Amino acid sequence: MKKLVIYIFLFCAAIAARAEQTRFTMSAPSAVEMGQQFRLSFQINDRGTNLQLPPGLSDNFQILMGPSTGQSTSIQTINGKTTSEVTFSYTYILRAKSEGTFEIRPGSIEVNGKVFESNSLSIQVVKAQSQPSQSQGSTTQPQQGTPQNVDLDKDNLFVRVDLSKRNVYRGEQIIATVKLYVNPNVPVHGFDEVNLPTYEGFYTQDIDIPQQINFTREVYNDKIYQVGILKKTVLFPQQNGQLTIEPFSMALLIRQRVKARSFFDDFFDNYRTVKARVTSDAVSVNVKDLPTEPANFMGGVGNFNVSSEISNTDVTTNDAVTLTMNISGNGNIRLVRSPELTLPSDFEVYDPRATDNVQANDNGVSGNKTIEYLFQPRFEGDYEIPAIKFAYFNPSTGKYVTKSTDTYTLHVEKGTEEQSTTVISSRRKEDLQLIGQDIRFIKSGKPMLQVKGHTFYGSTIFYLLYMITAVMFVVLYFVYRKKARENANIALVRNKKASRVAVKRLKAAAGYMKQNNDEAFHEAILKAFWGYLSDKLGIPVADLNRESAVAKLNDSNVSEEVIKDFEEVVDQCEFAQYAPVAGSEARQDLYKKAETTMSRFEKQIKR
Amino acid sequence: MKKIIVLLLIIAPFFVFAQETNEQLWAKANAFYTTEEYQQAVSTYEQILATEEESAKVYFNLGNAYFKTGDINNAILNYERAKVLAPHDEDITFNLRIANQYVVTQIEELPKPFFLRWKNSIINKYPADTWATISIASFILFLLLLGGFFFSKTVAVKRLSFWIGIFAILLSGFALSHAAQQKARINNRNTAIVFCPRVTVKSSPSETGTDLFLIYEGLKLEITDQLDTWTEIKLADGNQGWLPDSCIVRI
Repeated sequence: MKKLVIYIFLFCAAIAARAEQTRFTMSAPSAVEMGQQFRLSFQINDRGTNLQLPPGLSDNFQILMGPSTGQSTSIQTINGKTTSEVTFSYTYILRAKSEGTFEIRPGSIEVNGKVFESNSLSIQVVKAQSQPSQSQGSTTQPQQGTPQNVDLDKDNLFVRVDLSKRNVYRGEQIIATVKLYVNPNVPVHGFDEVNLPTYEGFYTQDIDIPQQINFTREVYNDKIYQVGILKKTVLFPQQNGQLTIEPFSMALLIRQRVKARSFFDDFFDNYRTVKARVTSDAVSVNVKDLPTEPANFMGGVGNFNVSSEISNTDVTTNDAVTLTMNISGNGNIRLVRSPELTLPSDFEVYDPRATDNVQANDNGVSGNKTIEYLFQPRFEGDYEIPAIKFAYFNPSTGKYVTKSTDTYTLHVEKGTEEQSTTVISSRRKEDLQLIGQDIRFIKSGKPMLQVKGHTFYGSTIFYLLYMITAVMFVVLYFVYRKKARENANIALVRNKKASRVAVKRLKAAAGYMKQNNDEAFHEAILKAFWGYLSDKLGIPVADLNRESAVAKLNDSNVSEEVIKDFEEVVDQCEFAQYAPVAGSEARQDLYKKAETTMSRFEKQIKR
Repeated sequence: MKKIIVLLLIIAPFFVFAQETNEQLWAKANAFYTTEEYQQAVSTYEQILATEEESAKVYFNLGNAYFKTGDINNAILNYERAKVLAPHDEDITFNLRIANQYVVTQIEELPKPFFLRWKNSIINKYPADTWATISIASFILFLLLLGGFFFSKTVAVKRLSFWIGIFAILLSGFALSHAAQQKARINNRNTAIVFCPRVTVKSSPSETGTDLFLIYEGLKLEITDQLDTWTEIKLADGNQGWLPDSCIVRI
């Protein structure tokens, strides 16, 4: 079964190859003069029979001769494999009967019983040029076969810029062809000072043409010219209004025969090279402005198609996703700006990268532009990647067309940190700095827990502490002050009263002295002294004894003499209590002494 | 009277028990953390906090445990809570800074006038209770000096106690106001942490509001108003807007 398929396949391939090998072509000049002979030739790379001329050929053309057959063999060796090809040709000589453009329908030939048809041709027949006889008679007059000196005027030699369109929209492409028209009788030897046109106001793209200029015959203004294409350029007008392609000029080198001045000159071919300057005419293009642009118009004029592709729809965070948009078609593809891709705002979006691949040929510029949108989702979730709207202007319909790419749903999962190594973000930069850094260790010891929201501040105890201390202060203040005042008063009163009390007691003592009451007399004197000292010096009665009294008296700057008297009085009184001494003089002296001591105290003790 | 005593006797063991458990939980959680069983440490610390008791240390350690499990949001939340209770703790500030380096949204804080910065740094020097203690201590000192002023008979002592007394009462007043501000900070927790991975801040409290800006998880923000399920927030750079309640957790 498999084998059979292979055989069938091989068989078909062989047939296809063979069918392809047979080529049958018809060729003739595209423009001829009225009454001029020209060749119509058929070429086939196989032996054929029964050549049929195109039907209706003889209606417009007169067959002068033919067919003359020819055969040529070419042998090629490629990589050691030799192939030979035989080409058979059939040539007819024709002459046009009338002026006009004529279609020559395909001729046909039979090869191995199969009929092959050639291509069709179109021939333009123009009226006879000024010197038809010369070229006609070239075979009969070989001496004069050399070209005639033709006037190098604008009729015979000129350049022009041929535009495919003259009335276009801005951005619509025009194919400009720089052509050199030469009368067939003018032998062009070469070029000099070629200044090809500069297309100001246009974006241009050159079409590749062969380096060698191939002259073809063309009819222009009812005359046949040899036409050479110097340059082909696709133009995209960039401004509105009348755009003018400035004239350009070039110099052609033409061989001209110098007229024989003498008989001998005829023996030598006497030629010289003449420089002929040709200048083109200015050509203008009318550029129309585009209608009001829609929002997504990116400057594209032509006919485009868009497609898109996404690298991945299931990703983890920080994975890079590429959305590729492809704009292909015919038009000013290089001038198309990259449409914007509106992504969720927290995506890391990089600038889109656009690459274009365009070719310019006789149909204009075509190709594709690929725009890569690179982005990274930073957070997990499902996101919609919206369609990219692309609007372009179609000059053939004069309307805007909007095309859009597909929408995609992006499913993002949270990735682990390690997976996103390719990502460069601000966060990662900081991570690098953090190498070797870690959080500080936990705290140990007592947790020092408190009820939530509770603080010492604001609690009752807190306020009470203020109150209690303040109240305590106030209470203490008043108590202390009162006591201090009281103390001060008592001391003062006692101080003031001290001498009076003492005087009273001394008087009592004087009374006891008269009554001879010894015991009471001494007691009264002692009482008077102790009482006085207690009040005067502020010594409590309990603490009062001789030593403390003497010390206090010393402190109060009482003179030694007085203290001595005081001690004597006290001694005498105490002595008399235990051993009564009779004698009124002694008592009188003691009383006097006590009185004077008391009065001295009163003078010397100062507060 | 008898009933109350009986009730107290019944309740008392519970208090004692609870206290012991929390201390035990604390030791257990710390042990988990030390042995790098962070998930268990997290749940144990959370158990302590579930008993309506808190402390800066617990929040700090919980934040650490969350950080180690990779939950940066909760780590930041707990560090911030710890910081409320212990505003001047260096460890908390340090760890919070590290955790904040994982926050995507970087916000340039509006510069504050220097006197506000100084004031805040002074206020944040101590928590509320320390300020309260300082206030009471300086008040008592003031009273003592006042007594000295009134009852001292020496002129030098009087003069010294007068000036120091004035200083003490001023200090007491400042400490009191600082304590009040710290307490306010603890009570009005008007800051929050964003927990949604990303959230669009709207211009009005509804889904149809204009999208103002995007913020990402871990960001600290200030709550300024609330309406239904929407919260008005303010960022440190002054931007304001509304976002759903569910996306933030109060500190």
